[in-house]
Amino acid sequence: MPANFKVSYVVRGEDHPGAIVNTDQRPLVGDRVMLGEREFTVLEVIDLIPPRGDFHYLHVTVQQTED
Amino acid sequence: MDLLSVLKNAELFEGVTPYELDALTKICQQRTYNAGDVIAAQGDVGNELFVICDGFVEVLHSDSPSDPSPRAVVNLGQGQIFGEMALVDRGPRSATVRAISKETIVQVIKRDDFEELCEENHHLGYIVMRNIAADLSFKLRHQHLTSQ
Repeated sequence: MPANFKVSYVVRGEDHPGAIVNTDQRPLVGDRVMLGEREFTVLEVIDLIPPRGDFHYLHVTVQQTED
Repeated sequence: MDLLSVLKNAELFEGVTPYELDALTKICQQRTYNAGDVIAAQGDVGNELFVICDGFVEVLHSDSPSDPSPRAVVNLGQGQIFGEMALVDRGPRSATVRAISKETIVQVIKRDDFEELCEENHHLGYIVMRNIAADLSFKLRHQHLTSQ
């Protein structure tokens, strides 16, 4: 079974509550992710706690994408 | 995505057997919400657990019933659950949950159906309750990280 990544997204530089989302691909620095209707760029990815079963638990820092 | 695939990708059901997962699909009910729809309101009596299949919701907390500007606590996306506190402790809803995506699809599990299933199958009950505890723990960790 493919891995699942449960991600805690924390938004840098603004008063934003962040988001928790499951994804089937590990986010990488520089990736762009949609949280709700807004796009963010991944700045940092850290394993938050040890994996359990097929689930990996990540802490990802993002900031609003600037085009 | 079919219901079985959705449930397989939700941490709530990590560790249940295919037979148990099949039993869970039978007590799920799908609902769709538009952006701005309130799915659960703080203070209300709640007897349902929600699993997000698609879209995003925002979780809002008010310090008092007269609080005019509730604070956004977290946004939740695919695979996440909400409503689990009221399911476990039977207290009022601890927060308001509002859809923020154009089309937010959730699976709803009623407490009575869920408890009946857990009584019939203690392994399933143990696994799901453990996963609810793990999910609450993860939400706390997220809150700690966002408040740093």
